[in-house]
Amino acid sequence: MNLIASGINHRTAPLEVRERVWLSDTETRKALSLLKTGPFSECALVSTCNRTEIYGVLNDLSAESEPPDVWKRMTAVLTQVKALTGDLDPTHFYFLRSCHAAQHLFKVATGADSMIIGDIQVLSQIKEAFRLADSTDALGPFLRRLMQSAYHVAKRARTETMITEGAVSVSYAAVELAGKIFADIATRKALLIGAGETGELTAKHLFGRGIGHLFVTNRTRSKAEQIVASLGGTVTEFESFQNQLDHVDIVISSVTGPGYILSKYNVSRSMKRRSHRPLVIIDLGMPRNIEPQSRSVENLFLYDIDSLQNVVDQNLQRRKSEIPRVNAIVLEELREFSAWIKSLQILPTINDLRTHFEQIRAEEVAKHINRFTEHDRELLNLVSKRIINKLLHTPSVELRNNHRTGASERMQTVQVVRQLFGLGKLKGTESEEK
Amino acid sequence: MSIAVNVLNVALPFFYLATVGSYAHAFLADYSFAKKLKTALLAVTLVGHLIYIVLRTVLFAHPPITTIFEIMSIVAFSIAASYSLVEHRTGIKNTGFFILVLALVFQSGSSAFIQDLSEVQPVLRSNLLGLHVTSAMLGFSAFAIAAVYGTLYLMLYHNLKAGRFGIIYQRLPNLEKLESMATFANISGFGLLSLAIGIGLIWLSRAFDNVSYFDPKLIGTFFVWLVYGVGLTAKGVIGLQGRKIMILSIVGFLTSFFSLTIINFYFTGFHRFF
Repeated sequence: MNLIASGINHRTAPLEVRERVWLSDTETRKALSLLKTGPFSECALVSTCNRTEIYGVLNDLSAESEPPDVWKRMTAVLTQVKALTGDLDPTHFYFLRSCHAAQHLFKVATGADSMIIGDIQVLSQIKEAFRLADSTDALGPFLRRLMQSAYHVAKRARTETMITEGAVSVSYAAVELAGKIFADIATRKALLIGAGETGELTAKHLFGRGIGHLFVTNRTRSKAEQIVASLGGTVTEFESFQNQLDHVDIVISSVTGPGYILSKYNVSRSMKRRSHRPLVIIDLGMPRNIEPQSRSVENLFLYDIDSLQNVVDQNLQRRKSEIPRVNAIVLEELREFSAWIKSLQILPTINDLRTHFEQIRAEEVAKHINRFTEHDRELLNLVSKRIINKLLHTPSVELRNNHRTGASERMQTVQVVRQLFGLGKLKGTESEEK
Repeated sequence: MSIAVNVLNVALPFFYLATVGSYAHAFLADYSFAKKLKTALLAVTLVGHLIYIVLRTVLFAHPPITTIFEIMSIVAFSIAASYSLVEHRTGIKNTGFFILVLALVFQSGSSAFIQDLSEVQPVLRSNLLGLHVTSAMLGFSAFAIAAVYGTLYLMLYHNLKAGRFGIIYQRLPNLEKLESMATFANISGFGLLSLAIGIGLIWLSRAFDNVSYFDPKLIGTFFVWLVYGVGLTAKGVIGLQGRKIMILSIVGFLTSFFSLTIINFYFTGFHRFF
């Protein structure tokens, strides 16, 4: 397998380095065309805020395919496309070959390699990167198949493990908590008090989950109107927002200022008026907006920043604990992928080798055939074929047995054989893909 | 046939144990193999149990409703079958462990003490009685399921109030869903119990000449009916909901359990036929 993966990510390089090599769509297209004319027969570039990676299939086992040379070529392309000044530090980059490269892509696709474990956005970013590569004719059958396998791994990881489960941001944790109390958010009403950033983000997530209606209130009415203009809903007067408590099911409060805007007494009275229907209050204020003792009121669920962070931490911990299961899926799919490669390359190489020898034999026999009598010509053909068969017997058997070795070693052997006998590039991948 | 009945009698608790085990494993470890296995195991157990009930009915020439231990087996079956329907209808599969453990307890008790009675009192061969017992047992199963959902509701409620986001928080459905499942089970149970009482009263006057309506079982059953009636009325009329109604649901089940077991064992009356 001539596959390589190289790049930088949040683990190997700080943000300032990552942002230097981040590629826009236009830059990606330019870089792909440069790389395609260079060492790669196929390539794709994945560039997100946390990683810039190249996945490529090297043309052959030339000296250029050694890590330092490939890296030099890649950095030269990056420097050219991004018009970088100054050198890139090689220690920030990783270089993976064959199975390790495929394994890396699979892990990235599952979100197990992401900064926020289980991040589902990365799969769509990879899809987009490969779509871009396809549109610039940089993809071939090998990377297409690799991509399909990566989708499959990601899908399995999502359905068979809990790597993507649970909210991992404070704003989304608030929505998740509301979802643990109410069956259908779409039939519920929410009240956003204040115009804090996290509060607004939480309201946005509630809209994403189809909240029935949103009321917004703020000391400065114009700010509430701005939020309503961007999200939808209704502005309500700050002075009378307590009346709304009787009608809403979720309250998000992010008011800045000293003192509580809701005391336990206010909350208790409101709960009585609403016949103790469950009420979720998310207090995102700093200092807190709701008197913490309100928590003891029946059917009232009060959460502050610490509670939400607790949800996030537990979800992250749970996602982390799922990584071994994800890795097991990655390995299973890697075996499948390797089997595909194996089926693709060993038999075509043996066939090519036999065709090559037969061609030489036939040419040589044809050259000298007239020197032989009619009877000897037949014998010449027979003997020369036997010699070729005997010569090729051991290499053929060895190549067939080669499937027991590791994928990387096997690919190297196949490539050495092809190079030694001048068998050229494998055509098998195209036929297999068809 | 007798051998088949005996084999199934011994095997059924183990079937239930395996089913409960796979549900527990899936709940606690979220193990994907157990997730796939549990529903299949439940189906196998239900089929085995149904065959057992049919074989028993044919072999002893009466439905297995004549002794408390026969009834316990029917209760186990109706709990498991009701749960299976709920699981199929709602798609919520994480509560099975808590409900099926009841079926395991009832079937284990039944298998351990059940007697093979070929001869039963003629009064027990009435069709009306069969209908009465069936509706009563289905009602009891519905109350048991409602009580389990009520308990799960309270567990999740306290976890949410205390800000504990462990396995209960992660695996159980939301509070509203649990409450609606418990309410649906309670309404079904109340309807079935009302039917059982109605049929029972009709059957009583036909089966016996002198019947005391102060029979402990009758009083107990009426009390159970009253608890559920008051609870459902409170929910419907004054909108009582959440924790309080779930507590009432559990109290109702405990009362009906007391009525079914303790009264049968320790009080005498016309309901004791064995």
